[in-house]
Amino acid sequence: MNTEKVISGFFFILAMTINFGFVYGDPSNLEYHSGYELFAAIVINLIATVLKLGDKTQLGSVLLATSLVADIQLIASATVWAFAVYVMKGMNLESTVAVVSLAAGAFIANIVSVTLFIGDTLKSKR
Amino acid sequence: MESNNTIWIIIRRMRIPFLVIIVTFSISILGMTLIPGMDDQGHPYKMTFFDAFYFVSYMASTIGFGEAPYTFTYPQRMWVSACIYLTVIGWFYGIGAIVALVQDKRLAREIDIARFRKKIQEFREPFTIILGYNNITHLIIDWLNREGIRVVVVDRDPEKIEALDLENFIPEVPSLAADVTTPETLKMAGIHQKSCQAVVSLFEDDIKNTKIALLCKLLNKRIKLVIKSTTQTQSEHLHNLGVRYIEDPFLFVSNRMYLALTAPSLWLLEMWVFGHILKVREREQLPRGKYIICGYGRMGHALERALKKAGMPYSYIDIKSTDYKAEKQSAVFGDGEDYKTMIEAGVKEAAAIIAATKDDLINLTILATAKKLNPEIYTIGRENTLDDLSIFRAARINRIYILERILAEFTYLFIARPLAYRFVRLLHTKDETWGAKVVEQMHAILGENPMHFEITIDEEHTYALSKELNKGRKIPLGTLRRSRANREERLPLLILLCKWDDRRMELMPQDDLPLEAGMQLLIAATEESKNDFEYIVNNYYELEYVIGEK
Repeated sequence: MNTEKVISGFFFILAMTINFGFVYGDPSNLEYHSGYELFAAIVINLIATVLKLGDKTQLGSVLLATSLVADIQLIASATVWAFAVYVMKGMNLESTVAVVSLAAGAFIANIVSVTLFIGDTLKSKR
Repeated sequence: MESNNTIWIIIRRMRIPFLVIIVTFSISILGMTLIPGMDDQGHPYKMTFFDAFYFVSYMASTIGFGEAPYTFTYPQRMWVSACIYLTVIGWFYGIGAIVALVQDKRLAREIDIARFRKKIQEFREPFTIILGYNNITHLIIDWLNREGIRVVVVDRDPEKIEALDLENFIPEVPSLAADVTTPETLKMAGIHQKSCQAVVSLFEDDIKNTKIALLCKLLNKRIKLVIKSTTQTQSEHLHNLGVRYIEDPFLFVSNRMYLALTAPSLWLLEMWVFGHILKVREREQLPRGKYIICGYGRMGHALERALKKAGMPYSYIDIKSTDYKAEKQSAVFGDGEDYKTMIEAGVKEAAAIIAATKDDLINLTILATAKKLNPEIYTIGRENTLDDLSIFRAARINRIYILERILAEFTYLFIARPLAYRFVRLLHTKDETWGAKVVEQMHAILGENPMHFEITIDEEHTYALSKELNKGRKIPLGTLRRSRANREERLPLLILLCKWDDRRMELMPQDDLPLEAGMQLLIAATEESKNDFEYIVNNYYELEYVIGEK
């Protein structure tokens, strides 16, 4: 058992599942989507990104790219939320859907990342 | 991929500091959003994520803008005090890691390598790789730089590389401390590059030189190699590898000695190519008579060969510098016993004495002892390191053989002046009468201190001339020796060697030789006649005038 693999695998998958937890539910109703969940998704995604740094292989670069995409989408989602609340005077339907769909995009990036990670693990046959 | 090592090292090292900062921030932010606060009207409220993120960001960097958006309650303040220490430690750790990284030796080395590579990749002009930095290569670098040939230096010892950096060579000499016997190092030094001309390896250790020669041959077939070798078997071995240029300093000395004994004019011509004036000074004339060789190692044997070939009588005293020092506990030659051996070897009636041991101090004292016993004796000394030059000069020795300098001179000639090098090689096939004639001719035309230069007939160097030749016009060599002021008169200029390719060469070509494009010429001239010559070959009007057809 490789401790490093356990830790990185844990964070890659956690990033995806938490991301899913936030996206899950009616996209037009903000009550289904908790801010705490978005916060956790951002933090775990950032940690996953850092864990992917410094891998010189081809696969490592692609994994890093997917993680960066997820980070940008999630941070954009949080930014839209804060902007709507403080600058636009409250959430409306458009901003609610934007917050959730941006996070949904991040979720897809996370799926790609986890798929690649598992594929690589299976390929190594050990 | 390899050149990006620096970035990868930085990224790998920064992983943990990044993680620490992310975790401390997220804990602090989360806490801030969970702890209830109170607004200015006394209503309880909870911070939003944005408020918490904003507050923690400026708190963590210890700037401290006060409590926002409302004054904190005590539970909030307690959490903030914990957060301050948490995040500040996180930051300090991150900054500390960056500082440590800047001082990291491995990183510094990677940066050095990346810079070295970049400098070499930017070379457009031809360059030479020199392995090992010492007195010899220092001289070579100086001379090659003067000729506009760029140099790259690799040495295993970082201190030597630092010394080289302090020299401030112009143009810059990229240098790297690395093991020279590995292919990676040679690749880094640019052996694969098109503009890389030659590799110079003049280490003391013959086996090391051979290894380098082999590596270079395998890495780049067409490269010129200058490899030092001090034994005949080694030289043969290198020859079989296909090394074009093998430097055996002892062979050089032996050949020179032979030339000086049998053909002083040829010797003079060779020395002139290396920068001597075209005149034998009185003290440089080797006497005829019996020679004594002190020291019977590689140098002693080389000199013996020369003396034998020249038919000069000689005897030798076998002194090994290391044995001598061990036995007598002194590096000074000349106690009672030594006097006796000297006299037995016949110093009183000998014409010349050669001190050829590996130790400069012993060599000096041998010559001093000989002078004491026979004030008329001609002294020849071997000087091993250039550092002792001033002492040797002061000792008034008639002739000094400095192996290091001879090596440097030949290397320079081979790389920067291939025609002059050829000329020296061809001299050894000629005889004294030929040499005397050439010297006489040069004296008559050019005086006692001419210079030499080489030129290739192509568009870059001789614009007008090569254009005319390419049109199919027949121009004999003699045309170029006419003065541009009056074509009936001759330029003070002498063409020493004319080269078509490696197989076809002609020494002292005649005036009626037809010129061809691509030909290379070695020319003896004065500063002034060199300028005139360059005018004539590059300028249509001047060229037409000296041809004199129109």
